[in-house]
Amino acid sequence: MTLAPDLPTAPVAGDEALAIHGLTKRFGATTALDRASLVVRPGTVHALLGGNGSGKSTTIKVLAGVHQADAGRLAVGGREHDLATFSAADARAAGLRFVHQDLGLFSGLSVAENVALDAGYPVQARSRVQWRELHRRVGRLLHEHELDVDPRTPIDELRPAERTMVAIARALQDAGPDSRERLVLVLDEPTASLAQHESAELLDRVRRLADTGQTVVMVSHRMSEVLSVADDFTVFLDGRTVATLTDASPTEDELVELMAGRAVEALRPVDSSSATETLRLRTEALAGGPLRGVDLALHAGEIVGVAGLVGSGRSSLLRMLFGDLPSTSGTAHLDGSAYAPTSVADAMARGVALVPEDRGREAAFAPLSVADNLSVTRLRRFWGWRGMDRRAEYAEARRLIADFKVKVGGPEAGFTSMSGGNQQKVVLARWLQRDPTLLLLDEPTQGVDVMSRVDIYRTVREAARRGSAVLVASSDASELLALCDRILILREGRVDEDLTAESLHPDDLTRKLLRATSVREEDR
Amino acid sequence: MNQTEQPRLATGPLPTAEAAAGADPTAPTASAAPPAPGRTRPSSLSALGLAERYALLALLVVICVGFTVIPTSGEVFSSLNNVNSVLRGQTAVALIALAAVFPLVTGHIDFSLGATTASSMVLSAGLMSDHGTPLVVCALASVALGALIGLFNGVMVTRFRLDPFVTTLGVATLLGGLIQWYTGGQTIFRGISSTLTDYSYSKVAGLPQVTAIVAVIAVVAWYLLAHTPFGRSLYAIGANQESARLVGLPVRRNVMLSFVIAGTIAGAAGLLRLAVQGSATSDSGTSLLFPALAAVFLGATAIRPGFFNVAGTVIGVLFVSFSVNGLTLSGVDSAVQYVFNGVALLAAVGLSTYLGLRRRSRG
Repeated sequence: MTLAPDLPTAPVAGDEALAIHGLTKRFGATTALDRASLVVRPGTVHALLGGNGSGKSTTIKVLAGVHQADAGRLAVGGREHDLATFSAADARAAGLRFVHQDLGLFSGLSVAENVALDAGYPVQARSRVQWRELHRRVGRLLHEHELDVDPRTPIDELRPAERTMVAIARALQDAGPDSRERLVLVLDEPTASLAQHESAELLDRVRRLADTGQTVVMVSHRMSEVLSVADDFTVFLDGRTVATLTDASPTEDELVELMAGRAVEALRPVDSSSATETLRLRTEALAGGPLRGVDLALHAGEIVGVAGLVGSGRSSLLRMLFGDLPSTSGTAHLDGSAYAPTSVADAMARGVALVPEDRGREAAFAPLSVADNLSVTRLRRFWGWRGMDRRAEYAEARRLIADFKVKVGGPEAGFTSMSGGNQQKVVLARWLQRDPTLLLLDEPTQGVDVMSRVDIYRTVREAARRGSAVLVASSDASELLALCDRILILREGRVDEDLTAESLHPDDLTRKLLRATSVREEDR
Repeated sequence: MNQTEQPRLATGPLPTAEAAAGADPTAPTASAAPPAPGRTRPSSLSALGLAERYALLALLVVICVGFTVIPTSGEVFSSLNNVNSVLRGQTAVALIALAAVFPLVTGHIDFSLGATTASSMVLSAGLMSDHGTPLVVCALASVALGALIGLFNGVMVTRFRLDPFVTTLGVATLLGGLIQWYTGGQTIFRGISSTLTDYSYSKVAGLPQVTAIVAVIAVVAWYLLAHTPFGRSLYAIGANQESARLVGLPVRRNVMLSFVIAGTIAGAAGLLRLAVQGSATSDSGTSLLFPALAAVFLGATAIRPGFFNVAGTVIGVLFVSFSVNGLTLSGVDSAVQYVFNGVALLAAVGLSTYLGLRRRSRG
């Protein structure tokens, strides 16, 4: 396929809500975007897909006026804009509205104040804030956005999905329900930090917004969600637009193959299990925190999933096994001997490892290098009378970077210079280099792109093959089914069901989990 | 969903405009575009990184050469006597700066270090002057007092979770008050061990012995911070306490230790300051703390930019002290040192913030 270096002018103008053509962006010697294009029809949800470094984030940043493009044309609602000088103010004036993964809400302030900080407070003489007017105005806005929330509610009291919806309402506040088509709403990973039922609620809202004429561009790593809500799809790979699917219903596999440029098997269950008969971990009536008596058995080489709704005690179970949450009663045995860790160091001494749920807050050492982030779990190994052996440390880091397929410049690169998927690989490598006997994974692919997920699944399976027992807590049904031999459903602090993954379909698992919700809600 | 055209798959960068417009019914089949070459993130330019690392050192050389060349200060500035007197005079500031690095690495600031030095100086002077206590006991007492103050700070911050800024400021004020109360505002100069004061004038390899002690402590501090698992853990704690806890690092113990080490060094600084001055004033030590902090923050822009580090701190101390010395010799009013220290502190904080921001945006 040959391409003309100069693309013809967009043949149709005015018809698209948003059109980008020939977008090129270089960072030094690196070409992040190479004549990429994106055409969004009005009133549709348009999914922007691609792996790490595919250029989709850069595209969003160019649209937001954060980066200036080297070449390319942009038209919003038929009006051309100069991308070389496109600033954040221009983006706003052009009608582009962004809701980033970090919603930009101020905790400690009310919903109304959060909205007002964006649009300004209504004031009367001597700049006194008219609170009643503000609350009335914000109340109307929330009502338009079908949010049953009092404007005076502190933002922290909202559920995560509601907070996202407030951020969306805030972004769209200068367009009434009948002038929505003037604006293009860009959502960057809106569901990344939401539990499954919360994200379903949000996606539902996004869908209804589009049905009333709102144009939405959405970036997400969660394929099933994207498929459930998007009309059109644009797939990025290596800085180029490799596919545009208009009004299409592709399968997940088709999309992933486009994103990867190749077929991806790893995201599906594998036939061979590495589970052995050797009992690794047994707990009896383990209780503490939200846990009310967990009985489980875990074998060497086995990958066992922990499913359950938020509050079921998924994370608490892992924390307790990692010595980070004290048990109040019950017993545990690891490799035949009693196991009651009272600290993380205790658990580590017994060969237990935990990859926590919230990477940024609980696993990352953001200012430090990749090498530092890797060696932190086995510092003594590099220490001799001559001090820390930097060379050995870097050599080891290089080996891990290669083994775990981390895309990064080198061991000295900063941890935050990597994408989420690569950061997660580093966190995983940090623990797997210790050859853990028991590997605890809490939401191992949260905020991780599909391509990295493939690598992470492979790595986890490999660890199991080498004899680790793996316990995976996840809110993603397809992840559990792809990865696990067995799945335990936690309900109100107990193991409610012990299922063989093989015989399950994602919908079955979701249904079993949701049944728990409906039961709970009927109880209320 | 308002259009009813067939689902279509358009590939390559080009045909999307047509596809969206619904023009081309024979869209090419799906095939991935070849990966663009060189898809690595832009790493920091090595030349720039190098410049950043050694900028402060270069600046130190520049001001030293500058003050040597300028006729008004030149002859005196570059004389060995002047160099030695600056080094000797900066003993306490240098040690306080080294001390401050430890808690700062873990993300805590200790404002009581100047006062710790002042108290330990007054304590050993008082012991000698009023009780005729032997030098060795005085030395041990001054170091022990520093360690004790550090322990108190550490316990307050780690066990009782008090804010380090306020806690150490409170401790500094308290110590200042105790010094005033004990000395009655008078300088203690009688009965100071002459062994101690003479020692401060003795030289090794042409340099003051007290400077050699500072150098030894600096090397030990450097080894501890850069070359032991303990030092690494301090940097990890400074980067993210929660992550540090979840990789099994003893966060509370090590933060506490960082305060104890800082206090101990500051205590030793008190003894050496007494040796250099030959008397103990009722000063509360803030005049020592601020140049030291300026040096530490300047140091965080050098050698290992973005991190508090020993080598950078040493360069920072030299930079601050020789700059002030050169300016004073050039005939500038002696009040310039406070202005200079203030400006240096602001410049250091500003610069490291700017570099940090740039590093993050580059990532």
